[in-house]
This record gives sequence, structure tokens and C-alpha cells, in this order.
Amino acid sequence: MKLHGRELLEYLCQKFGPTGFENEVADAIVEQLYDDCDKIVKDSFGNVYALVKGEGNDRVMISSHMDEVGFMITDIDGDGYIKFANLGGIDPKVLYGKQVILGNEKIRINGVIAAKAIHHKRREDRFSVTPIKEMYIDIGAKDADEAKEYVNIGDFGVFNSDFVFFGTDNKYAKGKAIDDRAGCCAMIETIRKIRENNITLPFDTYFCFTVREEVGLSGARVAAEKVKPSRAIILESTAIGDIAGAPAHKRVADVGSGGVISLMDRSTIYDTDFVNFTLDTAKNNDIKAQVKRYVSGGNDAGHIHKSGKGVKCVAISMGTRYLHSPACVASMEDYESIRELVFAMLKNMKAEV
Amino acid sequence: MYNTLKTITLVHGVSGKEHRVANTLKDMIAPYCDESHIDAMGNFIALKKGTSANPKKVLLCGHMDEIGFIVNFVEDNGFIRVAPIGGINWVACAFGEVVSEHGVHGVLVPNSGTKASDFAPDLFYIDIGADNKKSAERKVKIGDTFVLKSNLTKLNANRVVGRPLDDRAGCGIVLEIAKRIAKELVADDVYYVFSVQEEVGCRGSKTAAFAIGADVSLTFDVTGTGDTAGSKPMAVKLGGGAAIKIKDASVICDSEIVDKLSRISKEKNIKSQLEILVYGGTDTSSIQMTGAGCRAGALSIPSRYIHSGVEMIDMNDYKACIDLAVEFIKE
Amino acid sequence: MELKKLIVDLSGLMSIGGFERFEREKLISLVGDEFDENYLDKVGNQIFVKKCGKENAPKIMLDAHMDEIGMYVTEILDGGFLRVINIGGIDTHILQASDVIIYGKEERLFGVIASTPPHLASGDGKKLPQIDELLIDTCLTKEELESKIRVGTPVGFAPKYTEILNNKIMGKSFDDKACAACAIYATATTPREQLAGDVYVMLSCCEEVTGMVAPGAYALNPDYAMSIDVNLGRVPGTKKEDTVELSKGPSITISAVTDRKLTNMLIDVAKEKEIPYQISVSPTHTGTNAVSIQLAREGIPTVDVGLPLASMHTYNEIISLDDTKTLCDLISAFITDEKIAKEYAQGGLVL
Repeated sequence: MKLHGRELLEYLCQKFGPTGFENEVADAIVEQLYDDCDKIVKDSFGNVYALVKGEGNDRVMISSHMDEVGFMITDIDGDGYIKFANLGGIDPKVLYGKQVILGNEKIRINGVIAAKAIHHKRREDRFSVTPIKEMYIDIGAKDADEAKEYVNIGDFGVFNSDFVFFGTDNKYAKGKAIDDRAGCCAMIETIRKIRENNITLPFDTYFCFTVREEVGLSGARVAAEKVKPSRAIILESTAIGDIAGAPAHKRVADVGSGGVISLMDRSTIYDTDFVNFTLDTAKNNDIKAQVKRYVSGGNDAGHIHKSGKGVKCVAISMGTRYLHSPACVASMEDYESIRELVFAMLKNMKAEV
Repeated sequence: MYNTLKTITLVHGVSGKEHRVANTLKDMIAPYCDESHIDAMGNFIALKKGTSANPKKVLLCGHMDEIGFIVNFVEDNGFIRVAPIGGINWVACAFGEVVSEHGVHGVLVPNSGTKASDFAPDLFYIDIGADNKKSAERKVKIGDTFVLKSNLTKLNANRVVGRPLDDRAGCGIVLEIAKRIAKELVADDVYYVFSVQEEVGCRGSKTAAFAIGADVSLTFDVTGTGDTAGSKPMAVKLGGGAAIKIKDASVICDSEIVDKLSRISKEKNIKSQLEILVYGGTDTSSIQMTGAGCRAGALSIPSRYIHSGVEMIDMNDYKACIDLAVEFIKE
Repeated sequence: MELKKLIVDLSGLMSIGGFERFEREKLISLVGDEFDENYLDKVGNQIFVKKCGKENAPKIMLDAHMDEIGMYVTEILDGGFLRVINIGGIDTHILQASDVIIYGKEERLFGVIASTPPHLASGDGKKLPQIDELLIDTCLTKEELESKIRVGTPVGFAPKYTEILNNKIMGKSFDDKACAACAIYATATTPREQLAGDVYVMLSCCEEVTGMVAPGAYALNPDYAMSIDVNLGRVPGTKKEDTVELSKGPSITISAVTDRKLTNMLIDVAKEKEIPYQISVSPTHTGTNAVSIQLAREGIPTVDVGLPLASMHTYNEIISLDDTKTLCDLISAFITDEKIAKEYAQGGLVL
């Protein structure tokens, strides 16, 4: 069934898609886009490419990653408790006590990240962060043999977190994997909007849903080599710190003030003209956008802009509080601003070849 | 109001030796109550009978005792070693003028060269100016109690400073309530409890509350504020009105009493604020838990520098506590 | 009445210390019909009574505490953030990035406990921020918040119950409402004519903070009592002697401070009826209401019983539904046992 807006975002976010196991997300995207694009293919890496054909030989790439931060099972102990490692940068402070879903191609099973109860902790440990090696996942198994009937070493896990709309006018979303299913969602809705408006762009647009962003071994690198675009728009999520008491210079951006446009991050210096074009487009179309006020993080642009003969990149991020946790918080108004901005940019971009 | 408070404040009454305070209060409250007595622990309890045939029992409590020092030992050179009674802040007491229950003056000082961070009871002594053990013992014997000199001074803007406002301010409020409702027809029995030994673990109020078996109680005591330089965050401010206690470390007040006090405060336009104190404890907990227990609430008087010689309160807050309690009882 | 549903329904109620009566109507509508009487005592303990119908029957008290751990709002900040303090010993390791519900008078608000973004974190990242340093994000404005909530408004963890293997279930506040559910279920489903005495199920207040069972037991003055609370489950890194195992039945506590004879009689009953149980040893203090009940009035013979639970004081506590079933059997055996009733009826020694 075709979903839209909020329902589509929730649907995508609740899919099981840790880094290296993006198939379920990929299938959902293909299912949602099947009728809406000229061609949709998956490569051997797992990247999904949706083509909206235009005129001429120029190619533009729009990219979001499908994977989310998660876990991999590293060991099952004699009593059936599961040891695990992070996939992607997760603060150990947000792990403890959280419900998770574990699984492989065949099975999904519930569990919880736990450690010994506070009653058993040494006094000094009560005030220090529990290291991940002292945590385990409890699936309720009575022993190792029973645990192994359900899961294996090398299986994956994600947070099990309800998707909730809340806050003023219910315009904020909370859930896991908003990084970067929000980008995937915006791409799907952009493709549909191009179709609905019967627009033919002066270039082919490749919407690339990429894998393995969270561990840095970017599927986008392969995608960029395959697509060979002249320009790329990367839709991301960025951690922001607009919380009470945070110093103004470290807030990065503000939730509710539109897509966050990066000038520079740890892996990319963005093309000045393309960034200015993006900001102008936002301004001319009355779409909210803001410039990222802090140099931090990195995304698929790091690989894309250095691919082939070089690619002009711009990154538009969803400012997300508590990124890489089961409770990412973002604004649906920002989501809409980003979606509208991407559409407006495509409409205004000229062919470069 | 201020003069009454000052009279009560200046009476000596370390935990365990509250009888002077009790006697003072006894004379002051006599015209406003039907009967009164001092119980086995030393609590002073007065009763205003209700008009109802089947009256409920309302208990109002302030504690009479104050923190201080008890004489342990007299040294050959006439210096007096003491042990603390209640939660003494040694930094606040160092080099302070002290007075014994018999009116002997002295100063409380640490051993020479002691750093403030090392302050401990055994490193302090009282110098009463005696030059040897014999002359000291003519004035002071083991078991005598000392307190930081009592005083009360008006400052700017209706604020007063002195000691021991913890908790003679509470006693004063209970007394003022008795005055205010003396002529009113109140359905319930109102017990005015001036308790003993709060500072050493809420001991007096426990037996008083057991004997009374109240249905509802309100305790009046001081609470800390979050408005001093470098203080931990806390919503209570000096001058912010009567502090309706939600919880402290020893008690969670009855939520219906909290709601009722908040509502009355709004309706009657009496300034109030909500109090969550992360440390400390008051008679509220012992009253709540004694025997079959009772619905317990507390109105606190916001106070800066508690347990020092310069406890500071705002008389507007003090008055707000009285006003709010009177309206509460009338309901 | 279905046990698992009752456990989840009760555990899902908001009953943070001081607010045990917040959803009382719902509690009564869930179980009120099963009992002859229900009332609140002076300090707010909820009592359900089932009479045995015999004259001069002994009074049996079953205690499980109604309160759960949670938070109170201490400050409403700009940007829709809240500061809170804990009510009861919350494991602070679990707090960041968890879902909470703010229980305003008229309206429930959703919130998230903010985690600190890495570039804002101070120190070496090993120090765990304590609860008064954390923020709750409501995505509402300060004005909206001020119209809906105030200082002292309770904040609880969002209920999310999930089953795992071996008939185990996880979620918030099985401590101690799973036990409360068992006490209610066992009493409700035991036929009246089998009861050895009148049964008073006391859902007591504030166990996690100051404990209100003492005045409750004083007022009720039962002939004998059972205190039912959760017991620390064995998990990696814990000692065998400090813990009990999940799925092995309820625990019966042997302690120097509970009634030895009553404890032994309960063990005998369990053996006789082949109810699985484990022994838990707490030499000097049970850490439960048992001690306060025991000391009420002239002393009330009390036995301490536990439900094994892992991840205590988190919002994903784990229990075994098999254990709850056997716990109900044990409670039912206790309240129907005529030998115990005969031994403890009428208070024993009279001076």
C-alpha cells in the first residue's frame, strides 16, 4: 500500500535496517516506488537506484542512506545471554535498559539490553557510565542452547522504540532511525511530486538509497561511481544541540528552522556556488532553511564529492536531537521544508553538460 | 507579629531542654485555646475544641528545639569541649559567640591552625574566659548546653535575620494561627503542637501525633532556598510566598493537601510557591507515619543560611503561611 | 479475570510514590467487583477485603506496594524542557533517550529524556550525569507547559510491554504491581468457603521512598501477614547467594527479622502442595515491607515472599509469567491454610 507523509516516515523508520542488513528497508522502498519511477534497480551492495528520466545527458544524484545504527551479536554466553557490539556510533549511555529486536534473514526476536541491577553495583559504579562490555542482551532464553535456536553470532539488532508524534500541535516526531529514513522518505515523496506535476527535468535524476553509511564504508561511494553525476544532493540527519542550557555556539542548528545546509564538515568542503544556489532557492520560494553553525560529523558527501572526476555536493540535513538513540526527535515542519526545498532545487537546476 | 516572633526566638531551647520555650508559649497561647498540657516527652500541646458533634482532628505543628552544643569535658586550662546537638554547620559556627542555658557567655573556636575543610566536632572548644578548670567549673558543668547567641534584627524590605528562626518561626506561625481563629467557629478540633527534639530526629512529634491520632496535619518549618549565590537549583525563593511542601528527603506530602493549599492560595490571592527539597526532613514525616498515620502536609518558611547565626526570612512569607493555614483550617 | 492481563494493566497504571491514587478509579474498575469491600485507609493505602464468611475468623493481610519509581518535575525551562528529580531509587544508567509521560492534571504529555550530544558532553565521557542534570524534552513551549503542569507534577516511564522467550515479559513497574496483581488474583480466584480467614489485600504507598505500610498495618491490625515484593533475579555478574532464579518459582525469605515459625509453616505448605519455590536468605533485613509490618502494634507475624525479577528499577524489568502463576498458588495456599490460621488466630499471647 502506498503511504504518504507521516505514515510513510513511521513505516520506514520502524523497518529493521541496521548497517549491513538494509534489505528490509530496500524492499519497502522498492514497493513504495515501483509505479513512480522509470527504473528501479538494486546493486550487489544493496543500494537502490530509482531513476526519473529527464532530457539530455546530465545526471544529478540525490542520496540518502537506508541503514540505521544498531548492533551485531558477538557471543552467546553459557547461560544464554547475548554479548554485542555497536554498528555505528552509539553513546553507551543510551543503550542500557532499552528494548531491542534481534534477527537475521529468517527470524525476529525481542530482547532488552541489561546489566546487573543497581542494587548489585559497587557504589562508585553507580556514578559512572556502564561500559558496553558489561552489558548483555536478555532474550529470556534459559540457556545457551535455547538461545542458539533463535539467534546466531553475527546476527543483527536494532532498537525497539515506538514512533510517536508529540509536542506543540503534534508536529514533532520521536523514534529510532529517523537518521536517515527521513531522507529516504523525502526522496520518495519528491519522486512522486515530480510525477504528479508531469515535470520533465533537463537531466536524469538518480535517487540513490544507499547502504552502510553509519560505519563509514559508504555504499554511496559505489553508487557515485556507478551514477557518475555532475552534482549531488545528500539528504542526511545531523545531531543538533538546541537544548536548554547549551551554549549558543554549540547548538549547531535549531529544530523547526528548516533544513540544515552544511558549509563544511569533517569529510567535505561543500561547493560554494551550489550551497548559495540552495540557499537562494529556499529564500525565493519561502522555504525555511538554515546554515549549520558548527563543523562536525560527516556523511556520504565525503565519498561522493571525491568520486570520478569530482562531484559538486550540497548536504541538506534534518536537525535531529538525540541522534543515534532510540529516541531521535525531529520536526515534521523541517521534514516538509527539506522535501519542498529538494523539489524546488530540481525545478530550478539547469543542465551542466 | 515581629515582636511576638522576637520574644519566642530569644528563649534558650536546645533539643531536650525546651521547657523555657514551652513556658513562654504557654502564657502566650492561653487566651486562645481551651486546654493545654505538656506531655511526657516535653511537647507542649494546646487544643481549641471544634463545634462539630463529631469533630475531625487537625494537628498544627512547629518545633521548639534548636541546635546547639552539650558540654563533654572541661580541660585543665578551662577550655570546654562540646558535642553537637543536631546538624551543626561548623563553618557557620566557628568563632561565634555562644551562650549557655544559664547565661554564661563564651566563644566557640577551632583548635589553632585547623583548616575549614578539616572542621570536626573534636577540634572545637568553647572559651568562656576562665583561666583554669576550677574557675570554668564554677560556671559550667558537664551536660550544660550552649547555643549560638540568639538574636533577631529587622533588615530592609520586611526581611529579618537572626537565630533560631529554625523553628521558632514555625512556633510563631502556629501561635498567630491560634490568635486568628480563636474567635472563629471551627468545626474541627485544632491541636497546636509545639514539639521537642526535632533536630535530633523528629522524636517529640512522634509521640504527640500518636497521642492525638490526627486526621490531617500541617507542619511549619523552615526550608532552604535556591536564590543565594552559588546555590543548587531549587524553585523556592525568599519572598516568593508560603512554600507548599511537595516532598523532602523524609516525606512525600499528601497530594490532596498540596492541591487544596494551592487552590486556596490562588482563590484567596495568598502568595505561595511549591517546594521540593532534595535533602532534609521535618516533623511532617513522623506525624504522617505514627500509629495509623494521618494525611500530612507542610507549609515551609523559605529561609536562607539555615543552621547558622544569620538565618534570614521574609516576614511576608511568614504572614502568607499564617493566612494560608487559617483559610485551610476554615475549610 | 486473566492473570497476565491483570499484571500488565496494573503495572501500566501511573502510581508514582505520592500519586498512588492517581488512577484509583481504573484500579477499582479492574478489580473492585471481585471483593466484598474496598477502601483507602488514613494515609492512602488501598485495601481490598474478601471475607470468608465465618465468625471470629482471623484477619490475614497480604501486602504488596502500589507505588512505583518515577520522577517529579522540579523546574520548567525555556524551550519546553523540564528538570526532574527521582522518586525512589531509579537506576540512572537507563535514563538517557527514554520515553516518558508527564501526568498533568488534565492531560498526559509525551516527552523524551534528552541525551547529551557528543560535542556538548564534558569530561572524559565516563561520568554518568545524575538525574538532576538531565532534561526532559517535551517539544512544547514554556507557556504551553506552564498551563498544563507545575512543579511536583509526576513523570513516569512510558509503558511498553514485550514478551520474550520462556513466557517472560518485560516492561515498567512489575516492582511491585506484578505482586499486587498476584495477591489480587489469588484472593479473587480462591473460593470464599476455602479461605481460612478474612483476607485484606493492602496495596501500600510509598515503599520506594518513605514507606506507608507501618501506619497501614497499625490501623488494620491483622493476625498474620504476608509481604510480597520482587526479589533480585540472577543475571551475569551477580552472586548466587544474593539472587534468585527466574522461572524457578517464587522465593520465600528466611531472615532473622521475620517470623520463623510462620516461614517454616509456609514452606511446609508449599512442599505439601508441590508448589515450586526457592529459598532466599536475607540475614538482617529483607529490604521489603515485611519488617515494618512485623513491628506494627504488638508485633504481627509476617512472612516475606518474593517474585524473581531481573533489571530491577529500570523500565524494562523482566519477570516470568510462570513464576507469577506459582506465586498465586503459594498465596492461595497461604490464605486457605487452616493450620496457620489456627496457630495465629486471636493474636496469641495476651498479657
